Amino acid sequence: MKFLIVDDSSVVRLAIERDLETGQIAEIDQAADGVEAVRLYEEKKHDVITLDITMPRMDGLTCLDNLLNINPEAKILIISALRDRPTALLALKRGASGFLCKPINPDELREAIELLLND
Amino acid sequence: MNDQDIRIFITMARRYFEALEPDPSLVIEPPFLREELGPLLEYTGIISVSGRSKGAVCFTANGAMLEQILALLHDERRGDAAKRDLVGEIANTLSGNAREEFGSDFLISVPSVMVGPRRSADFHSGERNYAIPLNWRSETAYLLIGLD
Repeated sequence: MKFLIVDDSSVVRLAIERDLETGQIAEIDQAADGVEAVRLYEEKKHDVITLDITMPRMDGLTCLDNLLNINPEAKILIISALRDRPTALLALKRGASGFLCKPINPDELREAIELLLND
Repeated sequence: MNDQDIRIFITMARRYFEALEPDPSLVIEPPFLREELGPLLEYTGIISVSGRSKGAVCFTANGAMLEQILALLHDERRGDAAKRDLVGEIANTLSGNAREEFGSDFLISVPSVMVGPRRSADFHSGERNYAIPLNWRSETAYLLIGLD
């Protein structure tokens, strides 16, 4: 399974990568913004993507649209500090598979990924 | 900003430290007002705010506290780049979480980071500037709220 972590914070990217360390994941890539994420996804078509919203160059919601344009079936979990309900609903309406709030709870993250994979 | 708004930020700060460790030794002192945003410690993450409020939300801390947080996150890095990244991410998390109460019209920027004792006049803040002292593990950080 190929995994893509998109967040402008390297601290967050490394934390997610560490939390996901399981035998299921063969390859993990990281991107620091939406532009890099779209480029990497076009190249590798990852099975699951975690996506921040507040990022430079291309924000997460725009990136979400771009990724879904490439593959409407892409499994994308939003992980954002934006803890308001309208933002979560907007992301889900635009095609995100799930929404988690920062700070990240490792158990919630693993559970959300499991749900995505079993969906 | 009123007292209730400041309490929201205090709640977000407490929640952040509780996510780091189950029973954090966090003591939050009463907020105090300053003429300009501060005090500024070694590393400061700055979020510009627009929409419902205008100004800035900052998290400022010394390297020693940031190194302890990196350790709790199992991040082995202790260098300047990791500390800059972390202080910006904490500022982003605290201000983004505040949208739970302030709503989606509380618009926040991506974080910028200042290193060293610069003046807060280097960035826009609000008319009333609050400093919330966060005492944790013998270190003190400040959550700075400068919003109109």
